[in-house]
Amino acid sequence: MKMEEVSVSSLDNSKLEALAQDILSDLVEDACLGLCFEVHRAVKQGYFFLDDTDQESMRDFEIVDQPGLDVFGQVYNQWKNKECVCPNCSRSIAASRFAPHLEKCLGMGRNSSRIANRRIVTGNNTNNKSESDQEDNDDVNDNDWSYGAEKKAKKRKSDKNPNSPRRSKSFKHKNSMMGPRRRMDNQESPRMLMKDEAFSQ
Amino acid sequence: MSRESRMRATINQKLTEMGERERLKEILRARLTECGWKDQMKAHCKEVIKEKGLEHVTVDDLVVEITPKGRALVPDSVKKDLLHRIRGFLAQHAT
Repeated sequence: MKMEEVSVSSLDNSKLEALAQDILSDLVEDACLGLCFEVHRAVKQGYFFLDDTDQESMRDFEIVDQPGLDVFGQVYNQWKNKECVCPNCSRSIAASRFAPHLEKCLGMGRNSSRIANRRIVTGNNTNNKSESDQEDNDDVNDNDWSYGAEKKAKKRKSDKNPNSPRRSKSFKHKNSMMGPRRRMDNQESPRMLMKDEAFSQ
Repeated sequence: MSRESRMRATINQKLTEMGERERLKEILRARLTECGWKDQMKAHCKEVIKEKGLEHVTVDDLVVEITPKGRALVPDSVKKDLLHRIRGFLAQHAT
C-alpha cells in the first residue's frame, strides 16, 4: 500500500496549521474527559468532598494578612528591639544574639574551647586586638550555620599542619548546611533561648 | 479518501505509534494542573454536583457542563506550548 508514502510536503502551511489545531483540540478534549471521569468516580465512591472543611473551621484558620503579624496571627518581631544584660560580662546584648553570646561567654558551647584556643594562639601574635573585637569575631566564626564564616574557616584550616590527624574534619564544614542562621533575627530569639541547654544552671 | 485526509490519518497514526501522543497528553495535563486550570474546573464541578444532587449526577452531566468551559479556560501560554511541540513533530515527521 502506498498509504505510508503520502507526505505533507505538497500541502501548504495553513492546512498544516489547521491540523496542528485539530490535534491540540483532541488533546484538550481528552484532558477534559479525563477530568470528568476522575470527578465522577470520586463522587460515586464518596471521596470528592473529603478535603472540604466546615465553614466555621475555615474561618478559624483563615490566613491572617495584617501588618506586624505572621500568617498565623502571631507577633513575629516582638523581641527585635529588646536587649538583655549578660550575667557574666555585664554587657548589654541584643536579644537575638544573646544565646550565642552566652555560649562563648560562659565557655559552654560547642566551639567555645576551639575559639578560646585559637584566641590564645593569635593573641600571642597580635596583642593589640581589644576584647570586644574578639568576642564579635567569635560569633561570626561560629561554623555550625553561618555562610560567611566558611571562607574564614577554610583559610584557617590551610594554616594548620596538613599531616595532623584532624585534617578530615574540614569536610564536615563543606557539607554543613548554609542554613537559616544568616540574619534571620526575627525567628531566632524565642526558640534559641529554649534550645540552649548550656543556660540551665 | 482525499489526499489530505490520508495525510491526516498517517500523521495521527504516527503520533500514536511513536508514543508522542501520550507524551503530549502528559505534558498538557501537567501544564493544566500547574496553571490552576484543574482546580478551577474542579470548583465548577462542585457547583454542578450541588445543583444536580450528589446521588444523581451522571458522567454525561459533567461532560456537558465541563467540556465547553474547560476548552475555553485553557490559558494561551499552555496552548502555545503544546502547539509548538505539535508543529515540531509535524515538521519532523510529515516530510
